[in-house]
Amino acid sequence: MLFLQLLANGLQVGAIYALTAAGFSLIFGSTKIFHFAHGATFAIAAYLFHFALTGLGFHWTFAVAVAAISAVVFGVVLDRFMYAPIQRHEGSFFTVFVASFGVGIVVQNLLGSVFGRGFMSVPTPLSNSVEVMPGLYLSPLNGLAIGCAVICFVALHYFLTHTFVGKGLRALSENPELVRMFGLSPRRLSTYAFALGSLLVVPGAIFTAAGTGINPAVGHHVMLISLAATIVGGIGSLRGAACAGLLIGVAENLAMWKLGTQWSEAITFAILFFFIIFKPSGFFGRATVS
Amino acid sequence: MLRKTLSSIAFAIGLASAVSVQAEDIEIGAVFPLSGPNATYGDIFMSGADLAAKHINEDGMLSGNLNILYEDSQALPQQGVVAMNKLVNVEGVPFVLSAFTGVSKALSTLAQRSQTVAVNGGGVGPDLAELGEYFWNVIPLANNEVGALARYAVEDLGHKRFTLVYVDDPLGESILNELEKTLPTLGAELVESHSIAASAQQFSGVAARVRSDNPDVVYVASYGSQQLQIVKQLRDNGVKAQIASYSAFSVPELQSQAEAQGALFTTQSIEWGSDDPVTKRFVDDYKAEHNKNPTSYIANYYNAVRVFGLLAQALEAQNKEITGANLLAQRKATETFELVGGEVSFQDNGTLLAPIQVLEVDGSGSGKVVSVKTAE
Repeated sequence: MLFLQLLANGLQVGAIYALTAAGFSLIFGSTKIFHFAHGATFAIAAYLFHFALTGLGFHWTFAVAVAAISAVVFGVVLDRFMYAPIQRHEGSFFTVFVASFGVGIVVQNLLGSVFGRGFMSVPTPLSNSVEVMPGLYLSPLNGLAIGCAVICFVALHYFLTHTFVGKGLRALSENPELVRMFGLSPRRLSTYAFALGSLLVVPGAIFTAAGTGINPAVGHHVMLISLAATIVGGIGSLRGAACAGLLIGVAENLAMWKLGTQWSEAITFAILFFFIIFKPSGFFGRATVS
Repeated sequence: MLRKTLSSIAFAIGLASAVSVQAEDIEIGAVFPLSGPNATYGDIFMSGADLAAKHINEDGMLSGNLNILYEDSQALPQQGVVAMNKLVNVEGVPFVLSAFTGVSKALSTLAQRSQTVAVNGGGVGPDLAELGEYFWNVIPLANNEVGALARYAVEDLGHKRFTLVYVDDPLGESILNELEKTLPTLGAELVESHSIAASAQQFSGVAARVRSDNPDVVYVASYGSQQLQIVKQLRDNGVKAQIASYSAFSVPELQSQAEAQGALFTTQSIEWGSDDPVTKRFVDDYKAEHNKNPTSYIANYYNAVRVFGLLAQALEAQNKEITGANLLAQRKATETFELVGGEVSFQDNGTLLAPIQVLEVDGSGSGKVVSVKTAE
């Protein structure tokens, strides 16, 4: 029964990881911008959801809207007013990374200053587990997180394969020059990528605020997982990042079935090293020759 | 014109000499977590230290104004050493407040080498008592806290099976060692211990393991945001056993956390309603300033700064320089100190010995005392 319990926990955690990793992978795959502040987007969405719900007393649907709008605005503003100028001045990959890293630190400290540096969580009965069978406890959040992730991925898949902007985003990740030749603006597509990628962290941020709780440094862990999942899934592969996120979440939990609990976090890096050594192209990435 | 110039010069000289006859400020340092997930502790520690400095300055205990220079450790040993280096080698302070077991152990070597007194009021690892004569503790250490809680849980509540969830650092290791040593002597057992990384935030799996251990008591040895996440996730995931911990549970966020209600924790025993003038002034002024009751951490850092004030005052009375070596010599020469909580004395190893109280989280903000145990 412990195995089943850990598997159920792993699926919930994996669903959240998959969504955040897919957001990062979408941005990185399309724009080649190492958006380290993706973790900051997660933290902003989580804090504003918490604030709108418990501080302002909004209905949860409005609180979700506040979180979604804030995440999208933050991502787009960064793209327009930080990454675009750096790219215009032909800033290197490293310059972009440092700038993004700096924003992550600033956001963490701003959140700490505004909302306090302690732990916060959304009080909700949805996080309370009930014993569905002897030894197996599930909370409504388990099912909601998994269901929400499935819906988001189906919608994302439809968007990328059936809409003009979606096809443009896929094309951008393949060949930006060709996109330009077809009269599309890579800059505008980049903004769409940031908007969509930032929107994908919102469900994870909300479920984290309700389930495990948040602190201003919560974005670091998210970023770490997103990065690992992007590499394991294959750089540029959205499907790969999602599967890798799920794999990491499940593996983190199942590791505790036979190994000590301290191995839970290490398993992420074990998986990462395994892929770097034995399958550097990741789950669905293509092998490249440089 | 000449007269005007001369009078200006005379005024400037007069002003300069007036400044020079004023006593210099006296500075001490503090290495606290001011950012990161444990920054909440920094705010708490500072409130106690600042209040003590304010009282010392109001009373004119020293020849100059006492200032505290704060440096950020982020509760990380490496950052703590960098901060300590700056305080000792750049600022030249003779006395530094320290916090967190890992940070305190890391900076103790520099304290010993530079003959700078380092005083811990937050870390509780038992080996903090063995870090040299320049490292002092104004807080009872984990061996006292764990022992008191174990005795209460076993002897008063009849619990026998303990599970430990502990952060993988010197503090967690020391609590593991204490429980392994103490429980068998009481006829209880440590059924299982679960180590977690300091950065871990997901504990639903740990909760599943804890549930399968079927313990009477889950002892949580963590701190900062992480301990709140552990408690929430243990309860959310169906763990119904008695939750217990050490003084890290005295932070306001945990005291008001719904899932933590009923949890047991330990701190040094302080009678907040005491008529003792030092305690009364501390409690009254803290309440007036912050509109809430103080906790033992706040008292510890108030006491740490007050110890400095008392020692420096004695040194100045003897026309001695305020250095680490002189502060140490003066502490050894001083039998007792009037601190918050009453008259106390240091043991030879530089650690205060105080009775321990077991409290229950009851939503009042400071916990309800359920038992007081003498330190062993």
